[in-house]
Amino acid sequence: MRGYVLRRTLLAVVQCLVVLVAVFAVGSLLPGDTADVLRGELGTPEQVAALRSRLGLDEPAWPRFVHWLGGLATGDLGTSLTTGVPVGDDLGRRVGVTLLLGVPALLLVTLLAPLLGTVCGLREGSRADRAMNATAVLLHAVPEFVLALLLVASVSLAAGLLPATAIGMDTGALLAQPSVLVLPVVVLTARHLCDLARQIRVSVAAERHGPVAEHLRLLGLRERTVVLRHVLPNALGPAAQQYARCVEGLLGGAVLVEAVFGFRGLGGGFVEAVENRDLPEVQAYALLFTGTAVVVNLLGDLVAYRLAPRREVSA
Amino acid sequence: MATHARTAPGRPQPTRRGVLAAGGALAAASTGLLSGCGDGSDGGGGEAPFRAAFTSGGSQETLDPHVAPNFVDQARAKALYDTLGTYADDMSVRKRLAESWESNAAGTRWHIRLRQAEFHDGTPVTAEDVLYSYRRAADPDTGSPSQVLLSAIDFTASRADGKRSLVLVLEAPNFEFPTVFAGPGTEIIPDGTTDFRKPVGSGPFTHVSFTPGGTARYRSWADHWDGAPHIAELEIVPANEESARLNALLSGQVHYAADMAGASVERLRKAESARLLTSKRATAQQLLLRTGRKPFDDPRLVRAVQLGIDRAALVRIALAGHGEVGNDLFGTGLRGYPGGLEPRERDVAEARKLVKQAGAEGLHITVQTSAVDAAWQPAADLMARQLREIGLRLTANTRAASTYFSEIRTKGVAAFNTTSTLPVSDFLQQRVRGGAARNQTGYRSEKFDRLLDRARTTRDEQDRLALLARAQKIARDESGLLVWAFSDAVDAIGRTVRGLRAAPPNSHDWARFDRVRID
Repeated sequence: MRGYVLRRTLLAVVQCLVVLVAVFAVGSLLPGDTADVLRGELGTPEQVAALRSRLGLDEPAWPRFVHWLGGLATGDLGTSLTTGVPVGDDLGRRVGVTLLLGVPALLLVTLLAPLLGTVCGLREGSRADRAMNATAVLLHAVPEFVLALLLVASVSLAAGLLPATAIGMDTGALLAQPSVLVLPVVVLTARHLCDLARQIRVSVAAERHGPVAEHLRLLGLRERTVVLRHVLPNALGPAAQQYARCVEGLLGGAVLVEAVFGFRGLGGGFVEAVENRDLPEVQAYALLFTGTAVVVNLLGDLVAYRLAPRREVSA
Repeated sequence: MATHARTAPGRPQPTRRGVLAAGGALAAASTGLLSGCGDGSDGGGGEAPFRAAFTSGGSQETLDPHVAPNFVDQARAKALYDTLGTYADDMSVRKRLAESWESNAAGTRWHIRLRQAEFHDGTPVTAEDVLYSYRRAADPDTGSPSQVLLSAIDFTASRADGKRSLVLVLEAPNFEFPTVFAGPGTEIIPDGTTDFRKPVGSGPFTHVSFTPGGTARYRSWADHWDGAPHIAELEIVPANEESARLNALLSGQVHYAADMAGASVERLRKAESARLLTSKRATAQQLLLRTGRKPFDDPRLVRAVQLGIDRAALVRIALAGHGEVGNDLFGTGLRGYPGGLEPRERDVAEARKLVKQAGAEGLHITVQTSAVDAAWQPAADLMARQLREIGLRLTANTRAASTYFSEIRTKGVAAFNTTSTLPVSDFLQQRVRGGAARNQTGYRSEKFDRLLDRARTTRDEQDRLALLARAQKIARDESGLLVWAFSDAVDAIGRTVRGLRAAPPNSHDWARFDRVRID
């Protein structure tokens, strides 16, 4: 186990580095730079050149990247080319907003998916099972932003039950008025919840009818013991990996949900950073997103390994 | 998501309509039958701040008023600062901090008297503050949109000749110089200001707090020379997604939503909880043909395109009817726009003949476009079909929105562009004159430049405008800057909001939140 952990951790670091290099390379290849964006149409070539030299963008790209990496080693994420504010400050302001969306969504998925999946898996073909399947299919047919706009139109605008957007609210304001979070969290959760629950349902159903379960039943073990001791651990193993993927999905979904509901979170920040060609910011976001994805996947694999060691996951 | 803000005098900033192109349409469809209400907590009373939602991004996100490329920057600057003059709806200049201005007979020395006004810290606004502000904005390193205009001032010769009186000396005569007094990025700041984290201005609101990319909070300033604002607090909040601004307005979370388009406008038209502020002809929709380069260095081809496009169809389809046809000149309805021009009628036979004469039958032309303006892509498709009838093959090349304008400066032979309202003389000087920094077509005409020079040095206003009219008629045919339509600029307000009217962006009354009342 220890060798496996070490190997995977090392690989994770390499993965992050590769992504950073790739992001920087691609970012440098995008047309224009921050000076072009900030001066826009109104800027004269003279003004653009002045800003470019002030931002240090007239220097070669790779030394800038190496410099940024050096700063990263000391925990310094650099300074935003756009605002001149430390990148860490910007991320810090936005991360709270995204966590307020992501953590409740993740908790909901974590608690409800195994429950739903197990119930449906144990009662295949029941009304609950069919309802969940139908809902899952429906949610796959409706893009997340359409779902979001439909919910806002009905629940907020027509019924006046919940706030329509989070425009102008920072982390503190969101905490003071958590009702703002309800609709976005529902949108963010719905599809992943169904996906994960369906995966668990299939595994539970398969394990329940499997030869091992039959054997245990023949040995006279009670059904409850068979399910809790055998069916669930085996069914949750593959689900742990799907669960890790769902964390990535939540990060991606956050970009969209933040936009529709007017949150100033990491998703919107990342999009703006790319549009502004703000490479220090882009790199910091890339590192954060890649790091999260890599760590979560690593944990998912480790849990899967722990639950069912014979199913070793190839790195 | 992804809709950028809109730029001040120049462009409507890239509208990040990309990801959620259908967003507004869907909101419209899904809420069309429902009564949009569900008031937020605010609405009545003077306690809740007045909240205005704008697109942001694509700017330095600073309260430095001299770096104010986008509409949100301008709205924020308007709250905190004053300028010497201000634009009326037709872009003529009205007095603001300046009490009077007059020039010598040659038009080289401008004597300005300031009204009595104070900055938020209680110090008076003086001539030295004006000189400092203008000198700072004239520095290319600052990044003011009015830098070119201000650089005409000779700062070594200009001086204060009293506490509230100064003389600006120009390097060349210019009787249209007062347009600079109202230019964006010419706000008056206290002498010596270099830091804008706790900005001090002389505007109707004082600074409370601001984080780059976040909410800007202001408090009403009772001592403003033009009278205190009617609202106690103002918040300018960023919301890049159009559907988010729309929903926030419909649900009463904000009082003002900037930059509505297409389906959102239709939705708002039916809503009882909101009202539209539609500024007609606010944006000049242009097709730039690079006359300095092949193939449009051949005037017959420029003429062929002018005659070959069907403007009425473009307005009906690409602008969804929210606009009117253009006559290849910027500034319909503005001061200095020549009267009595015949409209451009489509003439396929003549255009086809010109293409044939130029030996350009079947010629492939690539037009640069982007998501900056939602009308461009459909306009490009439609123009391709229209120009096919005269023997030209047009294809569109879509470029990234945020760097679009820097790219088309050097790339391609044809491109879409938009310009918001600004004084006609500035437009001609900065975008049509040969060699001007923002001349994107490469047009060069000695005759045109001479007429502009004569206009600049002509004291009598009517004579001056007559010269400008003559210059414009030449540019209309030759410059390669085709104004095919004018589109509306639409903002929206909640039904409890009073004191705001539809006004063109860049003008005095646009986003003038100090005159707002909430019922």
